[in-house]
Amino acid sequence: MSLNIFICGVGGQGLVLLTSVIGYACVKNHIKVITGEMYGLSQRSGAVSVHLRIGEDAYSPLIPFGQADILLALEAIEPLRYIEYLKKDGVVLMNTRIMHPPVETSKIVDNKAAKYITLEEIVSQLKKWTPNIAAVDALKLAKEAGNVRTENTVFLGCLSALVSFLPTEESIKEAISEAVPKKTVEQNLKAFYLGKESAFNSLCTLVPCRK
Amino acid sequence: MVLKDVIEEKGKTAFMLGNEAIARGAIEADAKVVAFYPGAPTSEVLDTLSDALDNFDYQMEIATNEKVALEICAGAAFAGIRSLTAMKSVGTNVASDTLFVLGYTGVKGGMVVVMADDPQAHSSQSEEDGRFFAPNTYIPMLEPSTPQEALEMVKNAFEISERHRVPVIVRTVTRVNHQSGIVQTGEIKRKAFQKVKWKELSEKYITLGEVARQKKLKMLERTMKIAEEFETSEFNFNERARSDTGIITSSVSYLYVQEALNMLNAQNRVNILKLGTTYPLPKNKIEEFIGDLKKLVVIEELSPYLEKEILSIAKEVNPSLQVYGKISGDFSEACEYNPNIVAKGIATALRMKVPEYESIIKEAKELKTLIPDRFPTFCAGCPHRATFVALNQALRILKAKGQEHYLANDIGCYSMWVFPPISQADSSLCMGASVGVANGLSHVIEERIIAVVGDSTFFHASIPAIINAVHNGNKFTLIILDNSVTAMTGQQYNPSTEFIAGGKQGKKISIEGICKAIGADFVEVIDSYDVKNNVEIFRKALEFNGLSIVVSRRECALYGDRIKRRRGEKIVPVYVDKEKCKRPYVCLRTFYCPAYEIDEDRQPRISAELCDGCSVCSKLCPIQSIKPVEVKK
Repeated sequence: MSLNIFICGVGGQGLVLLTSVIGYACVKNHIKVITGEMYGLSQRSGAVSVHLRIGEDAYSPLIPFGQADILLALEAIEPLRYIEYLKKDGVVLMNTRIMHPPVETSKIVDNKAAKYITLEEIVSQLKKWTPNIAAVDALKLAKEAGNVRTENTVFLGCLSALVSFLPTEESIKEAISEAVPKKTVEQNLKAFYLGKESAFNSLCTLVPCRK
Repeated sequence: MVLKDVIEEKGKTAFMLGNEAIARGAIEADAKVVAFYPGAPTSEVLDTLSDALDNFDYQMEIATNEKVALEICAGAAFAGIRSLTAMKSVGTNVASDTLFVLGYTGVKGGMVVVMADDPQAHSSQSEEDGRFFAPNTYIPMLEPSTPQEALEMVKNAFEISERHRVPVIVRTVTRVNHQSGIVQTGEIKRKAFQKVKWKELSEKYITLGEVARQKKLKMLERTMKIAEEFETSEFNFNERARSDTGIITSSVSYLYVQEALNMLNAQNRVNILKLGTTYPLPKNKIEEFIGDLKKLVVIEELSPYLEKEILSIAKEVNPSLQVYGKISGDFSEACEYNPNIVAKGIATALRMKVPEYESIIKEAKELKTLIPDRFPTFCAGCPHRATFVALNQALRILKAKGQEHYLANDIGCYSMWVFPPISQADSSLCMGASVGVANGLSHVIEERIIAVVGDSTFFHASIPAIINAVHNGNKFTLIILDNSVTAMTGQQYNPSTEFIAGGKQGKKISIEGICKAIGADFVEVIDSYDVKNNVEIFRKALEFNGLSIVVSRRECALYGDRIKRRRGEKIVPVYVDKEKCKRPYVCLRTFYCPAYEIDEDRQPRISAELCDGCSVCSKLCPIQSIKPVEVKK
């Protein structure tokens, strides 16, 4: 069995660091892990995605269509962009934060009738694919942790609550401490706990969690 | 990246990116000279070796281009010193003049050239199939599938290189370079670096005319020997099954094959030959594999490189073999593969029910109609955006006078100008081509021509075309966007930076100094953020009767932020004063900054999390309603 997580977001949100932390934690626990990462251009603000696969029968760095157990979106528009990777009964774990791209804003400036896409619209589209949607206000929790750039670690906290997420909390905390800048370790650990706590009210109502 | 896994002396189990594993391989193999020009998807090989430089005694250069990097490595290898370079295959095009002769001259020290293709053109201008460089240059080639294999092959390539006195290509694709996984590293046992005496080596590396003709024969002999050796290489292996169907594959496609067989529940229903040495090919091994098969599926991305070779072998040993590949129309030469594409191809050959995925894609597509595109764009604070705002204002002045223009874009972050909502550029080809093309256009079109290059592209491939323009009196405007680093690939140092590999002090080269020395009559240097004054300078440049060069200078925002954070300086974002804002939308219509959104009152709103505090938008606002936020002391 393997756990397939498709991670998406916007350049600058720390997807690659999040992936590395999970990878290091898996190594510490002797768990097989393979990823396929897409971040060709180093700019901020573009779409970024990572295929993350944990467990023995994952061979390819790309998750087959319709095979992801979890679609983790650090930004709210992005899960729809990659929905074809998610299983029909899979889980969307998403940020409530929307980062409207300049293309969308410029259309609204030019056309008074045009409106931004809303969280409700996105969720209602996602629901046509799966009923299992957990939305987290990760920016709020990251701010609470003292660093707006720890949204990625908030979601790591959410994942750590899942029974199917194999790396132990101990190994994840170790991996965080090794991978993030020294000055931000405390903030990241706090973000991790806030994320984990938040999972019990949202994510854990959809999938089995550790007590 | 956790650097400690790359530099740790003892072998261990680690989680590594393909590119980190390649770097580790170079360190374990005791490479003494490494040189690169950055290019996705190989840039992290450079970054990793630059970060690790303090711990080892290798010499490292971030070279001005791939050709220079290759020649640096050749120089070392001529003297018997191990060297490694990595480049994307479009970079190999630049280096290929030298690569071809290295096939003839050979080398003494082990020399490895990591060459990455980018199927799907994720971050490239073309889906080049660089594998053809190998048979064309008679240089042997290995192809890894995983980070682990990349590490092993890099180490092994040094040995092949020294045994046969020829450089070795390790060819990757994006999905190997940017694949992370579990890697078992070996021990690092490096010898202290020592210079050698050239005279004592008594080596010569010459090829020309009669010498070349003799060397060609030797090169053919060498290739035969390597082919023989590759027949027993551990990098080619069989996975046998009791079946009359076989698969031949290589590179990342091997992983898609495994995944696909798992999806089809057909693990033991096909024979597999996985090829790791793809030039010269182990022909006997292929003959033996296909000899008694009825059906063969060849699974490789891009061109039918293996397939054509295999078809010619099959013609002799198994003429009735049915081959499923690109030539048969079962697979496409376009775009990268994935497990679903491969599963479909295998199922067709096995006459199994073809697993359907088009309907999933179709259904998903219907749900996506609502969502906006998210093209790569200039970062908040990017100096290029400010430069283009000023240029566009100058172009409007020109247009009012009846003068139109042609914009030749080039390769770098400024390429983003071609994407919506800006969508501005008449051409964008490859490194430095904008200047060459401008030379040609200057003879034949009536409009004012503008060519754009970055600092790294200027040093990489633009200077000969600028000299050409000055020498021949060609008339156009060249804008050099100097943001101090090679930004697009991850802010590597270049001659416009005062640093070199490993963050050591280097000598900064003056771009305007070079332009003036060439003899350009109009050379102006501007601060990219100073939009108002820059409009007038651009206007003058565009009306100048000859070659006019404007160097627009301001460091890359991401690089600048890193420096600021290191110094403990605060980034102070700006905000829109809602009382004052009368919604002229100058900020939104001309600036397209990703930190900007429009709020419920249709007023612009700036995200404090994204704003870089460059304040260019506040200078553009005609009613001064954009101000810096107050910082708590």
